[in-house]
Amino acid sequence: MLSKHKSIRNLALMALLCMAFSGAANAQNPTASGVINANLVNKNGISIQFDTNSSGVTLGAAGTSAATANFGAVSAFGPLSGGVTRPSVTAANYTVRTIFDVQVVQGGLASLTYTLTANLAAAAPIGLSYKVDAVTLSTASQTIQTNGGYNTDIAHNLDLVVSTAAPGAGGPAVGTPITTVINFTATAN
Amino acid sequence: MKKVTLLTIFAALMMISSAAVAQTTASGTLSVTATVNGSIQLVFNSDAAGVALTGGGTNTATLAFGNVSAFGAIGAGIVRSTTANTFTVSSAVDVQVSKTNSASANYTLNAQLGTADAVNTWSVGGVAVTSAAQSTLTATGAYAANTNFPVAITVPFTTASGTSISNTINYVATAN
Repeated sequence: MLSKHKSIRNLALMALLCMAFSGAANAQNPTASGVINANLVNKNGISIQFDTNSSGVTLGAAGTSAATANFGAVSAFGPLSGGVTRPSVTAANYTVRTIFDVQVVQGGLASLTYTLTANLAAAAPIGLSYKVDAVTLSTASQTIQTNGGYNTDIAHNLDLVVSTAAPGAGGPAVGTPITTVINFTATAN
Repeated sequence: MKKVTLLTIFAALMMISSAAVAQTTASGTLSVTATVNGSIQLVFNSDAAGVALTGGGTNTATLAFGNVSAFGAIGAGIVRSTTANTFTVSSAVDVQVSKTNSASANYTLNAQLGTADAVNTWSVGGVAVTSAAQSTLTATGAYAANTNFPVAITVPFTTASGTSISNTINYVATAN
């Protein structure tokens, strides 16, 4: 009985030694592994940018959502800057026009089109009114387009209607730059 | 416990409803700048009593008297007078000057012949006009109204028949 116990103990010792040597041999090329679980949430959204139209004035900060359009010097009968036209002159007022592009890009949406609205940031200066695609702007939001296509430049007319009245008599100030900010909002349909 | 469950369901429904209503928008601003300048414009208009202009309503018109003579038939709208050795033909021509964005009360109108004419005598609005210098037709022209400044040519009897007489009269209106 004692001999049997000894045999079992020896076998166990041998097994342990084998396991130890085997582990040491494998330890020559240590490896490590791990798993990282990355999660992201794809948020949908749209962006708007203003681009220069080849028929219009060159925009400042084109390609951004905060651009500038400068008509330069305008008058009823005098010369105009490049990219500015004068579609109408009447006794009461005249219109100068330029063209600019709006591009709206969307991601993660099933929306096919967008609605474009615009409003003046502040009341129009005396003797001036602003139109986008024949829509007269005010400080209240006005719809310019209801079916704008994404990812492409869409041209819009920007009209400045100038009263022919003299300054102080209902006409605009003359000889000084007048700046007005137009806010645009694109809403996915 | 029942109350808590109901409240939880209600809150969840509210969140779902809010997500469904939320719209995806993007905003941008376009700053628009312009400098308004005052300006005036001059146009020629046909006068009812004169020869019909070609290019009436513009600032580049043509007044064609046609065939004229001291004693023969004369075209419609032409007024003729004769002296011992010359004859004068004239036609009413309206000039209209418009102003915008200006407090100017009136304008000065000058005229000058484009090229010298050593043979014939030209006048506009009764004022002799030559190529040497500008002649003042009025110093107090009224805006936005047709004003008749007749164009007259005095031709010597010595001019050969069939002679074509042509010249350009340059007008300049200046806001006062």
